[in-house]
Parts: sequence; structure tokens; C-alpha cells
Amino acid sequence: MPVPKWLVIARNEYRTITSSIRTIRPYFPFLVIGLLAVFVVFIAPAFVSPFIGDFLALILSQAAVPLVQVILFVFFFFLMLFPISLALREMRTGQLEILRAAPIKPSDVLLGKFLGATPFYAIFIAVIAGFFTAFLSPLGLGIVQIAIIIMTFIVTFLSALWIGTVIAAILRTKLGKTARGKDIGKALSLIIALPAIAVMYAIIGGGLLEALVDPRTGGIVKATLGLLPSSWGAEVFVGFASNPGNIAAVWFETLTRFGGLIIFFVAALWLGAKAADRAYSLDFTTFTASRAKPDGAFYQTVKYLGGGRLFGTLLVSIFKDYGRRFENLSKIAYVVGLLVLVGIFFGDYEGPIGAMIMGIFLFPILAAFVVGEVTVRGKENLFIYRKAPSGEGRLVKGRLLQGWLVVIPIVAVYATISLILVPQITFISLLTYTGLLVLIVAAYVAFALGLFLLMPVFSEKPAELMVNAMILTMVSAGLLMVSMIVFDLPLLYIPLIWLLGIVFLYLGKRNLGRIE
Amino acid sequence: MIRTDKLSKYYGKGGKIKAVDELDLEVHEGETFGLLGPNGAGKTTTVRLLNCIIKPTSGTATLNGHDILKEEMEVKRVTGLLAESPGLYDKLSAYEFLELMGALYDVPGNILPERIDDLLKLFGLYNRRDYLLEGYSRGMKQKVLIAAALIHDPPILFFDEPTSMLDPRAALMVKDLIKRLADRAGKTIFICSHILPIVEELCGRIGIINQGKLIALGTVDEIIAQTETKTLEEAFIAITGGVEDKELLAWREQRGASA
Repeated sequence: MPVPKWLVIARNEYRTITSSIRTIRPYFPFLVIGLLAVFVVFIAPAFVSPFIGDFLALILSQAAVPLVQVILFVFFFFLMLFPISLALREMRTGQLEILRAAPIKPSDVLLGKFLGATPFYAIFIAVIAGFFTAFLSPLGLGIVQIAIIIMTFIVTFLSALWIGTVIAAILRTKLGKTARGKDIGKALSLIIALPAIAVMYAIIGGGLLEALVDPRTGGIVKATLGLLPSSWGAEVFVGFASNPGNIAAVWFETLTRFGGLIIFFVAALWLGAKAADRAYSLDFTTFTASRAKPDGAFYQTVKYLGGGRLFGTLLVSIFKDYGRRFENLSKIAYVVGLLVLVGIFFGDYEGPIGAMIMGIFLFPILAAFVVGEVTVRGKENLFIYRKAPSGEGRLVKGRLLQGWLVVIPIVAVYATISLILVPQITFISLLTYTGLLVLIVAAYVAFALGLFLLMPVFSEKPAELMVNAMILTMVSAGLLMVSMIVFDLPLLYIPLIWLLGIVFLYLGKRNLGRIE
Repeated sequence: MIRTDKLSKYYGKGGKIKAVDELDLEVHEGETFGLLGPNGAGKTTTVRLLNCIIKPTSGTATLNGHDILKEEMEVKRVTGLLAESPGLYDKLSAYEFLELMGALYDVPGNILPERIDDLLKLFGLYNRRDYLLEGYSRGMKQKVLIAAALIHDPPILFFDEPTSMLDPRAALMVKDLIKRLADRAGKTIFICSHILPIVEELCGRIGIINQGKLIALGTVDEIIAQTETKTLEEAFIAITGGVEDKELLAWREQRGASA
């Protein structure tokens, strides 16, 4: 009897994911199960024991249901985004042709891909469920109650992952066929994290939990949250915590909420399988090729700022290649989004320094995102400039100017808006602080460009870009500390960061001539 | 055998873009047929339609008597496809990849390992069977993909640009293999290419497709005779259009063009 096709796909998916640990692949499941058992039995209880008193007080209070609802919602949301984000970053549809040519149903492909990744999802689920059961075990829950709690976690999280897998498959198929679609996908992969970050910031600094617990506020939010499947498990947990060992006391809530979750999961599976044919279609979605429009006032201005003539043309070309990628624009939007969220939930508007410090910590990342593009298109892209007479110098000059033209307006707008919120700030102070921040960030751009030329990132993988972005942030912050604490001269930071920027730019340009 | 009946695939609003337009074609059992055409002519769309990867807008086709609209699974079982730019599973070894393909095409478990080994030996990859595909050269990857197309020993084989990424030695090997598959194994072979010598050398009959329409059909000699040209290349240009000699250096005549 032939092996079911979904199992073939699942086995293949598992092999692909574990290819880097092929030598220990046969023992890997046992190793993981053993480690998880140790975690659940020993590590999780030991880890939670210092907080158990506070947690039990909380779980038996009025705040319990909204608290667990929010926690489960955040997990549900993150888990749903996880496969989507992975798929959007890797928009390859080539393997699909091999699968579609084979005698296999699209729903088998979808199910197989999901099940192949499930062992890894299970690790995460086991860790979260382990923590919760460790917290709840001192209450004396019955074995059936513990089993239902674990099942609730499994069903809730697998639902989120399945929905994410289906959406990911549809998006990959829709977007992965064209260069523009792939670009949009990469842009989305970054932006979709913002709502989840907003929820986290709202919990940490925005008093979201307090608002939900307060019976006078959050009516609509509470009602909406209660309707989400991720919240149904919360009522089961809290019901069990209030009636340990007595499942009969909450049988109706358990039946409706847990039963509802099971029905939701089955319905999601069924609908996902129905959508599989669309999710794995290889039909073209568009035949419209993107066309460049004649240069408008914006590019004319950029050309003018580049001194007109040939360098102006070069600068405009760099600008166009940068600006026509949604991925690049999404990186800017991401940092701006973070600035807005930090401003809303953690903003300190009592004096101008708060806004300045926040900018000093976040703008190195923006600088890295903007000028880090210099190497991510690969060496061949750099060799175009290497081949041209004085091409390396012109590339550095062009990229530096482009970086400034993108970053400085954002910084100026950010500084102006943040400083206007500071009470009784004078116009002169506003101009001075804005000017200082612009000066600092201009140096970040030079520093970032030098760093990326010195330590090139020849890949579009965000993780590699982030390493350089982190170096920039750490070094910039370290230098600020040195200026403030060691020398007690905050303004010393400006010449220091400029010096660093110029040195790195020089070293980076020198390295550009050596890249092979 | 392959028979298409007004097979069409249209895209865009109101079916404005005709990727394949009312294709009527017959490829006989054991024949090696070549579909020629410039880039974007509709060759790959035709192959995808015939392999049930996409569905036609209208018309249909049968492969070994199985209708592409009604018997999708049977059609897929009787065909093997070497796609133009397929995505390999880079994190699998050659053996693991062929094992996957064998399982997808229901090759019985008791004969699959031996068949994989035979194919890997045939393509000179046996010693590298456990290396991940990410470390293979383009030519080696192409060999693995051809082996994957053969894994279930289908009677009909589609090769979409089979030698476009290969060095001369690997290209020669692929050509020899296609010849043997046709001559000794009696396979029906459908080759899509824009490399004219390949098609000229391997195919008994050829069809030329342009903008979705089949505009010429016959043996190489018949097509050359029809167009009153001397070579297949000239015939191809005559049928599909090309740049005239006098236009080639026109750009130099513009004032100030020289550096």
C-alpha cells in the first residue's frame, strides 16, 4: 500500500528543516522529548517557584480571565505570523512546480508541509504549556483538568499555526511569481510585526492589562477579546484554577469553550484544505510589468542636489533603485512605526532630552537599514562601480548623499514633533535640538555606510543586516555614555561620532577596492 | 501519444493575453517532438497545461488517452517533467530528493532504492549521493532533475530547455540520453527549447510557436522548404521575425554617441 502523500511531504519537510543536523537526525526526536520531559518535570517548576505566590493570587483574582486572554491572544497572533513571516521572506515558488506536476492533491501538500514543521512547533507549545502547568500544579488540579489544559494549548496554538500556514501558502503563491510581488512580500514580512509589537508595548508601558481588568473601562476591547478563539481557553484555565479537582463544577464552561476550540480547529483545517487549490496555483497573477515614469520634480531636485550633470544622474539612479523597492520603504516605515509606538507608550515629554535619547538609540538602526542596502544586492552590483573609472569613490559619495537625503528629513520631522510636545519649549531651543539631532544622525549615516563596506552583508537576510545594525547601536550608545559619564560633556558626542563616521567611511572605501 | 484540441490559455481582463491560443497538435507514440519559439512564445505554458500544472481556459488535451481536464492524476502518472527553472530542495541530498520524487509518483518501496542507485550511477552522481544539493553545480542539479523526471519510468517525457544551463559535456550527455530514451526505450519525448541545434538534432518533427499560436509544423526539412530558406535558424527568423542587418549599427550613427 503506497504511503499517503501528505506523509511523504511531511517527511520531506522534516528532512529539509533538519538538514543541518543530519548526523543526529535519527536520535533528534528522542533527544528533544527527553529534554522537554526534563524541562516540564524539573526546570519549569524550579523556574516558576519564586513567582508562584503572586501568580496564584492573580489567577484567583478578577484579573485572571483578561490576563490569560491577552497572553493567549499575543501567543496566537505571534504564532500565526510566524509561518507568514518566514514565507514572505523566502518567496520561492520553484519547488511548487515539481509538486504540482506529481499526482498529488494540493491539500496533501498543505497538510504535509504543516505536519512536517509541527514537531518544531510542538517544542514551543510544550515549553509554554509546561510553564502554565507548573504554575497551576500547586492548586491540586486533577489529571483530567491538566490534560484538558494541555489539549487547550495544543489546539489553540496549532489553530494559529495552521491559519498562518494557509495564509503563507496563499501569499507566497500570489506574490512569489513576480519580482514586484516578491518585493511586496519582503516588505510585508517586516511590517506585519508592528501590530504585535504594539500589543506588547501596550501591555508593558500602556497599561493595557490594567484597563482590561478595570470593570469601568475597555468594554468593547474586552468583548472583542472574548469572542476570539484564543480567549476561550482562558476561561477553561481560570475555571479549573478556581475549582481544582472538581471538573463537574465547570462542566458547562469546559464543554462550550473547549468544544468550541475543537470545532474552530476542525473548521480551520477544512477551510484551509479547501483553499489549498488556490494556495498552490501556478497560474500567472499579472502580466503588467512595472514601468518607469519620466523624472518628476522630486528626481529633478535630487539631481540638482547632486550637483546636476553626471553625478546628479548617478545619484538619481541610486535613489530610484532604492526607492522603487517596497522592501526598503518598509524598513523605513518599520523604524518610524517603532518611533511612534515608543513615543506613545514610553514617551517622556517633560524635557527635550528624552526625545533626543530615544532618537539616539533608534536612528542608528534607520541609518543601517537605509545605507546597508549598498552591499545586499551582491558583489556583482559593486563590481559595476569597480569597473567604472573612479567608480568606487562615486559610489561612496552617492550612497552617502542618498542616505542623508532619506534619513535627515525623517529625523527633522521626528525631532520637531517630539519637541513640540515638550511644554514651554522655545522656537530657538526647538531649532537647536533638531539641528543637533540631525547632525548626530548624519554622522550615523557615514558610520553605517563605512561599516557596511568594511563588513559587507551580501545577502538579503534581515538577521545579517541586524548584526551590523546592532554594532552601530552599541557603539553609538557606548560613545554617548563615554561623553556623558567619563568626560561629563554630552556635546563631545557630536565630534566623536563624526570622527568615528569619517574613519569608518575611509576604511570602508578602502575595503571596497579589495572585495573579491 | 499527445493530442491537443484547441488548447488555450488566456490571461488578463477578457482574456486579452493569449499565452496559448487554440493549439491543435498531435505527437505520436515513440516520437521526439520539438516545440520551438522565442522567449514568451507560450512553450512553458503549453508544457504546464499538458502536465496539469495549470488549467486551460478552453480546449483540452489527452496524453496516452487520459484527458487533462478529467483524469489529472492519471495524466501526471504517465508523464515526467524536467521544468525550465524548477526549485530543488537544496537541503536534501540527491538520494533523499529522488526518494521524495519516487514516493510522490508511487514507485513501489521495494524497487525504489535500487532505481535511485541505478539512476545516480547513470548520471555519475552515485559517489555524491549523500551530499546536499545546495553544493551541486548547475549541471549536476540538472542531472538530478532529469533523474527525478525518470524515476517512475513514464512513457511520456517533457524536457523544457533541457540543456540551457549545462556545459558542453553535460549537454552532450543529456542529448545522448534523450536519443536513447527515444530509440531504445520507446518514450514519447516533447522538448521545448530556443536552442535550435538541439531541436534540429534530436527531434523528428518540430512545431514553431509564437505569441501562443502554432505557426509552423513539420520536419526540419519541410519547414526550411516552406520558408524558402537554407537553415532552420533562417527559417525560424523568417517565421518569428528578427532584426535586419542594416539596423544593427544604426545606433552609432547618432550624433555624439561615441565616447
